[in-house]
Amino acid sequence: MCLIIDIHAHIWGGKYEKDKEEIIKACELYDISKVYISGLRGYYPGKDEINELNHEVYKFSKEQPKHIGGFCYVNPVNNNCLDVLKKGIEDYHMEGMKLWVATYCDDPLVFPLVEKCIEYDIPILIHSFKKAIGQLEFETTGLHTAELARMYPKARFIMAHLGGNAYHGIKSIKKYENVWVDISGSIFRRDDVDYTVEQIGVERILFGTDMAGSFLVNYGQIEEADITPEQRELIYYKNALKVLHG
Amino acid sequence: MKKIDVNCLLGNWPFRKIRKNSFEDLKEVHKQNNIEYGYVSSLNSIFYNDPFEGDLELHELIKDTLYKHILTINPEIPGFIDDIKKGIELFNIKGVRIYPGYHGYSLDSKYIRKLCMVLAENKLPLFLTMRMEDERLNYLSHPRNIEATELAEFLTNHPENKVVLLSIRAGEILLIKDMLNFRNNVLVDTSGLKEWLFVIEKLTKDIDHHRIVYGSDHPLYCLKSSLLLVEKAEVDNSVKEDIFYNNANKMI
Repeated sequence: MCLIIDIHAHIWGGKYEKDKEEIIKACELYDISKVYISGLRGYYPGKDEINELNHEVYKFSKEQPKHIGGFCYVNPVNNNCLDVLKKGIEDYHMEGMKLWVATYCDDPLVFPLVEKCIEYDIPILIHSFKKAIGQLEFETTGLHTAELARMYPKARFIMAHLGGNAYHGIKSIKKYENVWVDISGSIFRRDDVDYTVEQIGVERILFGTDMAGSFLVNYGQIEEADITPEQRELIYYKNALKVLHG
Repeated sequence: MKKIDVNCLLGNWPFRKIRKNSFEDLKEVHKQNNIEYGYVSSLNSIFYNDPFEGDLELHELIKDTLYKHILTINPEIPGFIDDIKKGIELFNIKGVRIYPGYHGYSLDSKYIRKLCMVLAENKLPLFLTMRMEDERLNYLSHPRNIEATELAEFLTNHPENKVVLLSIRAGEILLIKDMLNFRNNVLVDTSGLKEWLFVIEKLTKDIDHHRIVYGSDHPLYCLKSSLLLVEKAEVDNSVKEDIFYNNANKMI
C-alpha cells in the first residue's frame, strides 16, 4: 500500500464537526496519509465567512497535524483578499490557495493573488467545471485556467475535477506544463483517467476526492485505470509532493 | 464471497470512446473482482431505431455463457410486446430494461402501463434506468430527468411489478425510502451511489439492505468504484453477501 495524498477536500460551513469526524474516520479506515482541506459555504462569501472558514481549517490542521493540511480559501472580490492569503500562509501555515466560483480565475482581481502565490512558492487550486447544465455565472472552466496559466508560467496551478468534463478541461490546459489536474469529484466515468493519461501524461495528475463527498469513488478510478503500479504511486502522492513543494 | 453485477452493458456509446467495451473486457474485469456473472444489456439498443437488432448482437456475444440477457425496450416503438415474447423464446431474457430519459416518455404513459402488464404476466423484472451519465456532462443529447415524484407515482401505480432502479442517487433513494421499505419487490443498484462518504453504512440505516443490489454500470462507470463502496463498508459480512449476491439471486 503506497502513501495517499488527497489534494482536494473540504469541510463545509455549518457542518464542520460532522465533516471533520468523517474525514478523520476515512483517513484511518482507508489509509489516507494526508488530506488538504479548504472550507467552503456560499458561492460569494463575504469577509467574515471567509475568515470563519479558514479559521476552521486551521483549527482542524492543528487538531490533526498528521492527517490534515490546509489550503487558504480566498474570494478575490473582497478587498482584503491579499491579507486573507497572508494570514493563511504566514499565520495558519497553509500550503496552497483555493479559488472557487466567486470570480473566473482569469479575472484581473485574481492577478495580485497569483503573484503573491509565486512569491510564497505555493500552488493554486482552482475549481474548474464545464457543465452542460447549471453553470454558475462566474464558474471557471478549463479555458479560464489555461489563460491564467499562460499569463503566469511561474505559478503552479491545479485544475480541479479534470475540468469537470475531462474532454473539455484536459485539452484546454494540455500545453501548459504549469497546470496539474486533480481527479476529485463525483464523476466516475471509467475512461476519464485513461484519457487524461493519454493526453497529458501521468506526471501531471493528482489524487483528490472532494471529501466529505466520497473517497472510494475516486480511489476506485485510479485502481481500475490502465496504468502501472509506479504510475499509480505518482498519482497517489509523488506528483502532489512536487506540486506542493516545487 | 459470491458476487453478481446486475447492471452491465456491452456495445458502443456514441458520445465518447469506451476503452473496455468488449465481452472479453467485461469478463476480465468481473474475474479480477470475483464477480461470477452479470445481467447485461446492449448499449447499441438504446440508440438503434429497432432496439431488437442490438439485442440480436448481444445474444451472439453472451449465448452459452453464465451471463443473463436483459432486453432493451422502447415501449413507444410498435411491436415491443412481440419483441419481449421473442426475447423470452430466443434469448431466455431475465428482465427488460428501459431508458425513459433517453427515449423521452413519461412513466405514466399508456405504453408503460402496457409494458408493466406484460412483464407482470411473464414474471419479468423491469430494469428502470434513472440516468446513464452525470447530467452535467450531457452535451450532445439532453435526456429527460426522472423526478422523484414521477418515480414514486409509478411505483405506487404498479405494485405487482418487480422493479430494479439503476444508477439512482443516494439522495433520490431517501426520497422514496418509505416505498422501498414497504414493498419487497423494488431494488436499487449501487452504480449511482457517489455523493457521500460511507454511503452504504448511511443508506442501510434508512432502508432495508435487502433492497440494495450490486450493479456497476460498466463500462460507462468505473466498476471498482462501486465495488469498493460495498467491500469497504462497515457493515456485517452477511449484509455485504446479500447486496453482492443473495438479494439479486432471490429477486431477479
